Amino acid sequence: MIARLELDLDVFAGPFDLLLSLILREELDLLEVELAEVVLAYLDHLEARDELDLEAATEFLVLIAALLELKSRLMLPGEEIEELDELAPAEAAEELVERMLAYARFRGAGGYLAARREVEQAVLYRSAPLPAALRRAPLEHAEQAYDPAVLGQALGGLLRTPAPIDLDHIAMPRVGLPERLAVLRTLLRRGTFSFDEAVEGADRMTVAVTVFALLELYKRGEAAWEQDEPFGPITVRSEPGGTIAAAVA
Amino acid sequence: MTLEQELEALLFLAPDPVPVEELADALRVEEDEVRTGLQALALALDGRGLVLREVGGGWALGSHPDAEESARRLLARPRTPGLTPAQAETLSIVAYLQPVSRPEVARIRGVASESAASALVQRGLIEESGRSQFGAVLYRTTPLFLKLFGLKSVDDLPDPAQWDPSPEEQTALRERLLRAGEERAGNGAPAAV
Repeated sequence: MIARLELDLDVFAGPFDLLLSLILREELDLLEVELAEVVLAYLDHLEARDELDLEAATEFLVLIAALLELKSRLMLPGEEIEELDELAPAEAAEELVERMLAYARFRGAGGYLAARREVEQAVLYRSAPLPAALRRAPLEHAEQAYDPAVLGQALGGLLRTPAPIDLDHIAMPRVGLPERLAVLRTLLRRGTFSFDEAVEGADRMTVAVTVFALLELYKRGEAAWEQDEPFGPITVRSEPGGTIAAAVA
Repeated sequence: MTLEQELEALLFLAPDPVPVEELADALRVEEDEVRTGLQALALALDGRGLVLREVGGGWALGSHPDAEESARRLLARPRTPGLTPAQAETLSIVAYLQPVSRPEVARIRGVASESAASALVQRGLIEESGRSQFGAVLYRTTPLFLKLFGLKSVDDLPDPAQWDPSPEEQTALRERLLRAGEERAGNGAPAAV
Protein backbone atom coordinates (compact mmCIF):
# COMPACT_ATOMS: atom_id res chain seq x y z
CA MET A 1 0.00 0.00 0.00
CA ILE A 2 1.37 3.39 -1.02
CA ALA A 3 0.24 5.06 2.23
CA ARG A 4 2.61 2.88 4.21
CA LEU A 5 5.68 3.76 2.13
CA GLU A 6 8.31 4.60 4.77
CA LEU A 7 10.29 7.76 4.08
CA ASP A 8 13.49 9.11 5.63
CA LEU A 9 14.00 12.63 4.27
CA ASP A 10 16.00 15.61 5.56
CA VAL A 11 12.91 17.27 6.95
CA PHE A 12 10.66 14.29 7.59
CA ALA A 13 10.76 10.64 8.58
CA GLY A 14 7.66 8.49 8.58
CA PRO A 15 5.01 7.05 6.32
CA PHE A 16 4.03 8.76 3.05
CA ASP A 17 0.40 9.38 4.07
CA LEU A 18 1.55 11.28 7.19
CA LEU A 19 3.79 13.42 4.98
CA LEU A 20 0.80 14.17 2.76
CA SER A 21 -1.47 15.16 5.62
CA LEU A 22 1.23 17.33 7.23
CA ILE A 23 1.69 19.17 3.94
CA LEU A 24 -2.05 19.59 3.40
CA ARG A 25 -2.47 20.91 6.95
CA GLU A 26 0.50 23.23 6.25
CA GLU A 27 2.42 21.90 9.25
CA LEU A 28 5.31 21.00 7.00
CA ASP A 29 6.66 23.36 4.36
CA LEU A 30 6.44 21.69 0.97
CA LEU A 31 9.31 23.88 -0.24
CA GLU A 32 11.60 22.11 2.21
CA VAL A 33 10.65 18.63 1.05
CA GLU A 34 12.91 17.06 -1.58
CA LEU A 35 10.31 15.38 -3.76
CA ALA A 36 13.04 13.62 -5.74
CA GLU A 37 13.93 11.78 -2.53
CA VAL A 38 10.33 10.64 -2.20
CA VAL A 39 10.40 9.32 -5.75
CA LEU A 40 13.70 7.51 -5.11
CA ALA A 41 12.29 5.98 -1.93
CA TYR A 42 9.29 4.76 -3.90
CA LEU A 43 11.50 3.25 -6.60
CA ASP A 44 13.50 1.43 -3.92
CA HIS A 45 10.24 0.24 -2.42
CA LEU A 46 9.12 -1.08 -5.83
CA GLU A 47 12.41 -2.83 -6.39
CA ALA A 48 12.26 -4.50 -2.98
CA ARG A 49 8.77 -5.83 -3.64
CA ASP A 50 9.68 -7.28 -7.01
CA GLU A 51 6.14 -6.89 -8.35
CA LEU A 52 4.24 -3.96 -9.78
CA ASP A 53 0.89 -3.15 -8.21
CA LEU A 54 -0.61 -1.02 -10.99
CA GLU A 55 -3.21 0.57 -8.77
CA ALA A 56 -0.70 1.61 -6.12
CA ALA A 57 1.71 2.88 -8.79
CA THR A 58 -1.02 4.99 -10.37
CA GLU A 59 -2.01 6.39 -7.00
CA PHE A 60 1.58 7.34 -6.30
CA LEU A 61 1.97 9.03 -9.71
CA VAL A 62 -1.16 11.12 -9.17
CA LEU A 63 -0.11 12.16 -5.67
CA ILE A 64 3.50 12.97 -6.52
CA ALA A 65 2.39 14.94 -9.62
CA ALA A 66 0.00 16.96 -7.46
CA LEU A 67 2.77 17.65 -4.94
CA LEU A 68 5.15 18.72 -7.72
CA GLU A 69 2.59 21.11 -9.17
CA LEU A 70 1.82 22.53 -5.74
CA LYS A 71 5.52 23.01 -5.03
CA SER A 72 6.21 24.68 -8.36
CA ARG A 73 3.34 27.09 -7.73
CA LEU A 74 4.73 27.93 -4.29
CA MET A 75 8.12 28.70 -5.82
CA LEU A 76 6.68 31.29 -8.22
CA PRO A 77 6.12 34.72 -6.66
CA GLY A 78 2.49 35.78 -6.32
CA GLU A 79 -0.47 35.19 -8.60
CA GLU A 80 0.43 37.70 -11.29
CA ILE A 81 3.03 35.50 -12.96
CA GLU A 82 1.42 32.80 -15.02
CA GLU A 83 2.97 29.52 -15.97
CA LEU A 84 5.65 30.13 -18.55
CA ASP A 85 4.14 27.40 -20.68
CA GLU A 86 0.92 29.34 -21.04
CA LEU A 87 2.63 32.53 -22.11
CA ALA A 88 3.26 33.56 -25.70
CA PRO A 89 6.92 33.03 -26.69
CA ALA A 90 7.58 36.78 -26.51
CA GLU A 91 6.17 37.00 -23.02
CA ALA A 92 7.96 33.88 -21.89
CA ALA A 93 11.24 35.26 -23.17
CA GLU A 94 10.54 38.58 -21.46
CA GLU A 95 9.95 36.79 -18.16
CA LEU A 96 13.14 34.80 -18.59
CA VAL A 97 15.09 37.96 -19.45
CA GLU A 98 13.82 39.62 -16.28
CA ARG A 99 14.92 36.65 -14.21
CA MET A 100 18.32 36.49 -15.84
CA LEU A 101 18.84 40.23 -15.38
CA ALA A 102 17.95 39.94 -11.70
CA TYR A 103 20.39 37.05 -11.44
CA ALA A 104 23.17 38.97 -13.22
CA ARG A 105 22.91 41.71 -10.60
CA PHE A 106 23.50 39.29 -7.73
CA ARG A 107 26.19 37.38 -9.57
CA GLY A 108 28.03 40.69 -9.86
CA ALA A 109 27.35 41.56 -6.23
CA GLY A 110 28.60 38.10 -5.22
CA GLY A 111 31.85 38.64 -7.08
CA TYR A 112 32.24 42.00 -5.39
CA LEU A 113 31.67 40.48 -1.93
CA ALA A 114 34.11 37.63 -2.55
CA ALA A 115 36.80 40.10 -3.67
CA ARG A 116 36.08 42.41 -0.72
CA ARG A 117 36.43 39.49 1.67
CA GLU A 118 39.88 38.74 0.26
CA VAL A 119 41.00 42.34 0.85
CA GLU A 120 39.40 42.59 4.30
CA GLN A 121 41.06 39.38 5.48
CA ALA A 122 44.29 41.36 5.69
CA VAL A 123 43.05 43.17 8.83
CA LEU A 124 42.91 40.97 11.93
CA TYR A 125 40.90 41.81 15.01
CA ARG A 126 41.20 40.84 18.63
CA SER A 127 39.43 37.52 19.03
CA ALA A 128 40.20 36.64 22.66
CA PRO A 129 37.48 37.46 25.17
CA LEU A 130 38.19 39.92 27.98
CA PRO A 131 39.89 38.59 31.11
CA ALA A 132 37.29 37.33 33.60
CA ALA A 133 38.02 40.13 36.08
CA LEU A 134 37.22 42.80 33.48
CA ARG A 135 34.12 41.01 32.24
CA ARG A 136 32.29 41.37 35.57
CA ALA A 137 29.39 43.81 35.32
CA PRO A 138 29.56 46.76 37.73
CA LEU A 139 27.06 46.63 40.60
CA GLU A 140 25.26 49.83 39.61
CA HIS A 141 24.35 48.28 36.24
CA ALA A 142 22.72 45.26 37.88
CA GLU A 143 18.94 45.08 37.88
CA GLN A 144 16.76 43.02 40.15
CA ALA A 145 15.57 39.95 38.28
CA TYR A 146 14.73 37.55 41.12
CA ASP A 147 12.43 37.62 44.14
CA PRO A 148 14.43 37.16 47.37
CA ALA A 149 11.50 35.22 48.84
CA VAL A 150 12.43 32.38 46.48
CA LEU A 151 15.69 31.91 48.42
CA GLY A 152 13.82 31.71 51.76
CA GLN A 153 11.39 29.18 50.39
CA ALA A 154 14.17 27.03 49.00
CA LEU A 155 16.09 27.06 52.29
CA GLY A 156 12.89 26.53 54.35
CA GLY A 157 12.14 23.36 52.40
CA LEU A 158 15.60 22.01 53.20
CA LEU A 159 15.44 22.80 56.92
CA ARG A 160 12.12 21.04 57.56
CA THR A 161 12.53 17.43 58.74
CA PRO A 162 10.19 15.25 56.73
CA ALA A 163 7.92 12.80 58.59
CA PRO A 164 9.36 9.27 58.69
CA ILE A 165 7.99 7.09 55.91
CA ASP A 166 5.38 4.60 57.12
CA LEU A 167 6.24 1.10 55.94
CA ASP A 168 3.56 -0.73 57.93
CA HIS A 169 1.50 -1.58 54.86
CA ILE A 170 4.36 -3.54 53.33
CA ALA A 171 4.40 -7.18 54.35
CA MET A 172 7.99 -8.34 54.73
CA PRO A 173 8.26 -11.89 53.44
CA ARG A 174 10.86 -13.71 55.47
CA VAL A 175 11.99 -16.93 54.01
CA GLY A 176 15.55 -18.17 54.22
CA LEU A 177 17.61 -20.56 52.20
CA PRO A 178 18.77 -22.67 55.21
CA GLU A 179 15.16 -23.13 56.25
CA ARG A 180 14.10 -24.37 52.81
CA LEU A 181 17.21 -26.59 52.59
CA ALA A 182 16.13 -28.24 55.87
CA VAL A 183 12.61 -28.86 54.51
CA LEU A 184 13.99 -30.44 51.32
CA ARG A 185 16.45 -32.63 53.23
CA THR A 186 13.68 -33.85 55.46
CA LEU A 187 11.68 -34.88 52.43
CA LEU A 188 14.77 -36.41 50.78
CA ARG A 189 15.05 -38.96 53.55
CA ARG A 190 12.06 -40.70 51.91
CA GLY A 191 14.18 -41.23 48.76
CA THR A 192 11.90 -39.35 46.32
CA PHE A 193 9.24 -36.69 46.55
CA SER A 194 7.46 -34.32 44.21
CA PHE A 195 8.38 -30.66 44.14
CA ASP A 196 4.72 -29.67 44.52
CA GLU A 197 4.75 -31.45 47.84
CA ALA A 198 7.68 -29.36 49.05
CA VAL A 199 5.97 -26.07 48.28
CA GLU A 200 2.39 -26.95 49.04
CA GLY A 201 0.42 -23.90 50.13
CA ALA A 202 3.55 -21.69 50.01
CA ASP A 203 3.70 -18.14 48.59
CA ARG A 204 5.64 -17.21 45.45
CA MET A 205 8.71 -16.06 47.35
CA THR A 206 8.90 -19.39 49.20
CA VAL A 207 8.55 -21.28 45.91
CA ALA A 208 11.37 -19.24 44.40
CA VAL A 209 13.68 -19.77 47.39
CA THR A 210 12.85 -23.47 47.36
CA VAL A 211 14.03 -23.65 43.74
CA PHE A 212 17.30 -22.03 44.83
CA ALA A 213 17.58 -24.57 47.65
CA LEU A 214 17.01 -27.36 45.16
CA LEU A 215 19.74 -26.01 42.90
CA GLU A 216 22.04 -25.85 45.92
CA LEU A 217 21.32 -29.54 46.70
CA TYR A 218 22.01 -30.44 43.07
CA LYS A 219 25.29 -28.55 43.16
CA ARG A 220 26.35 -30.47 46.29
CA GLY A 221 25.36 -33.76 44.66
CA GLU A 222 22.66 -34.49 47.26
CA ALA A 223 19.70 -34.51 44.89
CA ALA A 224 18.66 -34.74 41.24
CA TRP A 225 15.30 -34.35 39.59
CA GLU A 226 13.27 -35.23 36.56
CA GLN A 227 10.55 -33.45 34.70
CA ASP A 228 8.97 -35.29 31.74
CA GLU A 229 7.42 -32.25 30.10
CA PRO A 230 7.35 -28.48 30.59
CA PHE A 231 5.09 -27.51 33.53
CA GLY A 232 4.77 -31.18 34.39
CA PRO A 233 5.35 -32.54 37.90
CA ILE A 234 8.95 -32.49 39.11
CA THR A 235 10.19 -35.57 40.86
CA VAL A 236 13.13 -35.06 43.21
CA ARG A 237 15.24 -38.03 44.35
CA SER A 238 18.24 -38.33 46.58
CA GLU A 239 21.57 -39.15 45.00
CA PRO A 240 23.84 -41.88 46.24
CA GLY A 241 26.38 -40.40 48.64
CA GLY A 242 24.16 -37.46 49.16
CA THR A 243 23.14 -38.61 52.58
CA ILE A 244 26.70 -38.41 53.77
CA ALA A 245 26.99 -34.88 52.47
CA ALA A 246 23.70 -34.08 54.14
CA ALA A 247 24.95 -35.50 57.39
CA VAL A 248 28.09 -33.36 57.18
CA ALA A 249 26.09 -30.24 56.36
CA MET B 1 45.37 61.30 29.53
CA THR B 2 43.74 62.61 26.36
CA LEU B 3 40.41 61.32 25.12
CA GLU B 4 42.05 59.67 22.10
CA GLN B 5 44.47 57.84 24.38
CA GLU B 6 41.57 56.57 26.50
CA LEU B 7 39.68 55.54 23.38
CA GLU B 8 42.74 53.60 22.26
CA ALA B 9 42.83 51.79 25.62
CA LEU B 10 39.12 50.90 25.51
CA LEU B 11 39.25 49.63 21.93
CA PHE B 12 42.37 47.61 22.75
CA LEU B 13 40.36 45.78 25.43
CA ALA B 14 37.13 45.32 23.49
CA PRO B 15 36.72 41.89 21.81
CA ASP B 16 33.99 43.26 19.50
CA PRO B 17 33.44 46.55 17.64
CA VAL B 18 32.17 49.17 20.14
CA PRO B 19 29.40 51.59 19.09
CA VAL B 20 30.01 55.32 19.63
CA GLU B 21 27.20 55.45 22.23
CA GLU B 22 28.88 52.82 24.37
CA LEU B 23 32.22 54.62 24.17
CA ALA B 24 30.50 57.91 25.16
CA ASP B 25 28.81 56.16 28.10
CA ALA B 26 32.04 54.62 29.32
CA LEU B 27 34.02 57.84 29.00
CA ARG B 28 31.14 60.03 30.31
CA VAL B 29 31.45 62.45 27.36
CA GLU B 30 29.21 63.46 24.45
CA GLU B 31 29.06 61.26 21.35
CA ASP B 32 30.39 64.13 19.22
CA GLU B 33 33.48 64.30 21.41
CA VAL B 34 33.97 60.55 20.91
CA ARG B 35 33.77 61.00 17.13
CA THR B 36 36.33 63.80 17.24
CA GLY B 37 38.51 61.65 19.48
CA LEU B 38 38.24 58.71 17.06
CA GLN B 39 39.37 60.95 14.19
CA ALA B 40 42.34 62.08 16.23
CA LEU B 41 43.13 58.46 17.13
CA ALA B 42 42.97 57.39 13.48
CA LEU B 43 45.47 60.14 12.61
CA ALA B 44 47.72 59.20 15.51
CA LEU B 45 47.74 55.57 14.38
CA ASP B 46 49.00 56.53 10.93
CA GLY B 47 52.37 54.83 10.53
CA ARG B 48 51.73 52.46 13.43
CA GLY B 49 50.99 48.72 13.52
CA LEU B 50 47.30 49.20 14.31
CA VAL B 51 44.46 50.51 12.20
CA LEU B 52 41.16 51.98 13.42
CA ARG B 53 38.14 50.60 11.54
CA GLU B 54 34.42 51.26 11.67
CA VAL B 55 32.84 47.84 11.16
CA GLY B 56 29.61 46.12 12.15
CA GLY B 57 28.04 49.17 13.78
CA GLY B 58 31.02 50.04 15.96
CA TRP B 59 34.72 50.86 16.12
CA ALA B 60 37.54 48.36 16.44
CA LEU B 61 41.31 48.24 16.38
CA GLY B 62 42.79 45.78 13.91
CA SER B 63 46.30 44.83 12.90
CA HIS B 64 47.79 46.62 9.89
CA PRO B 65 47.34 44.71 6.59
CA ASP B 66 51.14 44.63 6.18
CA ALA B 67 51.36 42.62 9.43
CA GLU B 68 48.91 39.98 8.16
CA GLU B 69 51.44 37.32 7.19
CA SER B 70 53.40 37.36 10.43
CA ALA B 71 50.22 37.73 12.51
CA ARG B 72 48.75 34.63 10.88
CA ARG B 73 51.94 32.70 11.59
CA LEU B 74 51.88 33.88 15.22
CA LEU B 75 48.24 32.87 15.72
CA ALA B 76 48.55 29.74 13.56
CA ARG B 77 45.48 30.94 11.73
CA PRO B 78 45.69 30.53 7.96
CA ARG B 79 43.45 32.54 5.66
CA THR B 80 39.98 31.08 5.42
CA PRO B 81 39.29 29.72 1.95
CA GLY B 82 37.53 32.18 -0.33
CA LEU B 83 33.82 32.03 -1.07
CA THR B 84 32.76 29.71 -3.87
CA PRO B 85 30.74 31.44 -6.62
CA ALA B 86 27.55 29.76 -5.34
CA GLN B 87 28.26 30.96 -1.80
CA ALA B 88 29.12 34.48 -2.97
CA GLU B 89 25.89 34.75 -5.01
CA THR B 90 23.78 33.38 -2.17
CA LEU B 91 25.47 35.71 0.31
CA SER B 92 24.89 38.73 -1.91
CA ILE B 93 21.19 37.88 -2.32
CA VAL B 94 20.81 37.54 1.45
CA ALA B 95 22.83 40.72 2.08
CA TYR B 96 20.80 42.88 -0.31
CA LEU B 97 17.31 41.41 0.10
CA GLN B 98 17.30 40.32 3.76
CA PRO B 99 15.26 38.88 5.27
CA VAL B 100 14.96 36.53 2.32
CA SER B 101 13.67 32.96 2.15
CA ARG B 102 15.64 30.02 0.80
CA PRO B 103 13.13 29.38 -2.05
CA GLU B 104 13.50 33.04 -3.05
CA VAL B 105 17.29 32.62 -3.20
CA ALA B 106 16.79 29.48 -5.31
CA ARG B 107 14.36 31.33 -7.61
CA ILE B 108 16.81 34.16 -8.27
CA ARG B 109 19.79 31.86 -8.78
CA GLY B 110 17.74 29.36 -10.79
CA VAL B 111 19.17 26.41 -8.83
CA ALA B 112 18.69 24.99 -5.35
CA SER B 113 20.95 26.80 -2.92
CA GLU B 114 20.68 24.64 0.20
CA SER B 115 24.32 23.63 0.46
CA ALA B 116 25.60 27.15 -0.23
CA ALA B 117 23.22 28.55 2.39
CA SER B 118 24.16 25.98 5.02
CA ALA B 119 27.88 26.54 4.33
CA LEU B 120 27.32 30.28 4.93
CA VAL B 121 25.42 29.52 8.13
CA GLN B 122 28.29 27.30 9.25
CA ARG B 123 30.80 30.06 8.56
CA GLY B 124 28.65 32.38 10.65
CA LEU B 125 28.00 34.84 7.80
CA ILE B 126 24.22 34.38 7.66
CA GLU B 127 21.64 33.13 10.19
CA GLU B 128 17.99 32.18 10.29
CA SER B 129 15.60 34.97 11.19
CA GLY B 130 12.20 33.36 11.49
CA ARG B 131 9.82 31.96 8.90
CA SER B 132 8.03 33.39 5.87
CA GLN B 133 4.25 33.27 5.52
CA PHE B 134 4.66 29.94 3.70
CA GLY B 135 6.83 28.57 6.50
CA ALA B 136 10.13 28.75 4.61
CA VAL B 137 13.30 29.66 6.55
CA LEU B 138 14.27 33.34 6.28
CA TYR B 139 17.91 34.39 6.27
CA ARG B 140 19.72 37.56 7.30
CA THR B 141 23.39 38.48 7.59
CA THR B 142 25.21 38.38 10.95
CA PRO B 143 27.35 40.98 12.74
CA LEU B 144 30.32 38.75 11.84
CA PHE B 145 29.49 39.30 8.16
CA LEU B 146 29.80 43.09 8.62
CA LYS B 147 33.07 42.70 10.52
CA LEU B 148 34.67 40.32 8.02
CA PHE B 149 33.60 42.39 5.03
CA GLY B 150 34.62 45.70 6.61
CA LEU B 151 31.11 47.15 6.45
CA LYS B 152 29.60 49.65 8.91
CA SER B 153 26.09 48.30 8.26
CA VAL B 154 24.21 46.63 5.41
CA ASP B 155 23.32 50.14 4.21
CA ASP B 156 27.04 50.52 3.55
CA LEU B 157 26.80 47.98 0.69
CA PRO B 158 27.29 49.56 -2.76
CA ASP B 159 24.34 50.08 -5.11
CA PRO B 160 23.82 46.70 -6.83
CA ALA B 161 22.41 48.36 -9.96
CA GLN B 162 26.05 48.82 -11.07
CA TRP B 163 26.22 45.10 -11.88
CA ASP B 164 23.07 45.09 -14.02
CA PRO B 165 23.89 44.21 -17.62
CA SER B 166 24.24 47.22 -19.93
CA PRO B 167 21.27 48.11 -22.19
CA GLU B 168 23.16 46.56 -25.15
CA GLU B 169 23.71 43.31 -23.24
CA GLN B 170 20.07 43.29 -22.20
CA THR B 171 18.91 43.75 -25.78
CA ALA B 172 21.21 40.98 -27.01
CA LEU B 173 19.98 38.62 -24.31
CA ARG B 174 16.36 39.47 -25.06
CA GLU B 175 16.77 38.82 -28.80
CA ARG B 176 18.57 35.56 -28.26
CA LEU B 177 15.82 34.27 -25.97
CA LEU B 178 13.08 35.54 -28.27
CA ARG B 179 14.58 33.63 -31.21
CA ALA B 180 14.84 30.51 -29.08
CA GLY B 181 11.21 30.95 -28.01
CA GLU B 182 9.98 31.27 -31.57
CA GLU B 183 11.88 28.20 -32.68
CA ARG B 184 10.39 26.27 -29.83
CA ALA B 185 6.86 27.43 -30.65
CA GLY B 186 7.50 26.62 -34.33
CA ASN B 187 8.52 23.07 -33.50
CA GLY B 188 5.50 22.60 -31.32
CA ALA B 189 7.72 21.11 -28.66
CA PRO B 190 6.69 21.65 -25.06
CA ALA B 191 8.31 24.66 -23.52
CA ALA B 192 10.85 24.04 -20.86
CA VAL B 193 11.65 26.45 -18.06
